[in-house]
Amino acid sequence: MPSSSLAMAASPTVFATEKRNAKLKPTLIMIDNVLGAQDAIITVQDRFTPSVTNGVPIPAVQTPTRLSINVSMNACVSIRDELKDMEILGQMEITIATLDANCIVSVAYHPN
Amino acid sequence: MLRYLPVALATVSPGKPKLLQDGFFVRFTDAWPLTLPHVKGKSFQVERTNEVPYDLSYIIPAGDYRDVDLSNATGGENIYPENTRTLYEVALGFKPGNYLVHFYIPAGEYVHRLEQSGMAPNVASATLRYLGASKPEDSPYDDKRIFMYFVKDLEPLILRTFVDTGMPAAVGGAEHEKCIFGLTVNKCYLKQIISPTPEQRDRAKEIPYYTELRW
Repeated sequence: MPSSSLAMAASPTVFATEKRNAKLKPTLIMIDNVLGAQDAIITVQDRFTPSVTNGVPIPAVQTPTRLSINVSMNACVSIRDELKDMEILGQMEITIATLDANCIVSVAYHPN
Repeated sequence: MLRYLPVALATVSPGKPKLLQDGFFVRFTDAWPLTLPHVKGKSFQVERTNEVPYDLSYIIPAGDYRDVDLSNATGGENIYPENTRTLYEVALGFKPGNYLVHFYIPAGEYVHRLEQSGMAPNVASATLRYLGASKPEDSPYDDKRIFMYFVKDLEPLILRTFVDTGMPAAVGGAEHEKCIFGLTVNKCYLKQIISPTPEQRDRAKEIPYYTELRW
């Protein structure tokens, strides 16, 4: 099960690139904002380009939001059970409303 | 040339292999057309096999479909053999998702339909989209139950892959589904048997032409 831990110094931050023959299932998201300068509004975003279909001959990049959470300053939040039905079709990215290198996000996932 | 393997009522021991093996016999029925003279009405023994796994995937918006052509035509997925002595036995399974697959061969002609007028698959209909449709649970990725038989120059088999409605739209984008097909291409190199014995004919797997699936 891959995992990565990254500072939210850029937005969006890529946590996993698309795997063509699988969806990505996040199993754990931990947001450590104990040293953060402000409350962190974190969004898990899915980035993919759909296939050519009967109705859409020239598809555009899609970036649906899969999860959004607000983590207070001095707080550390861990999400596990709430992720069990969440699926990422393409690239898994996380955005933060205000860039903050002291806000650390850790994600574990497996391809499914 | 298209077969659905139902769930077994009982198990046998020793187990029976799902895929053709070295030494097995196959027989193509007389219904195969004159345009495919290399197989029409002929019997073969499988000289050797090689199983090649391959995955295909498509991200499709809800309520929309894509016609996936498995043939070697332009825009196809190139899953057909190029050698007249090769038979591809292709096992197809699906990863879970909110989608349906209809089979057409050649394009525009349904494999599965009922006899009453209008009882044909139609993804535009809220009810007929489920007629003749294969769902992911019908042939799981890890227990493939759909088998297709391809020879050189066979007409294109089309998988009309339709993403069903009913999923919640996500913020920042319309609802989509990722449809993932698992293929096991069992490449079979054939040796013709000019005059099969009655025993060889009895043991041979009969491969009907697609027209025999429609009447």
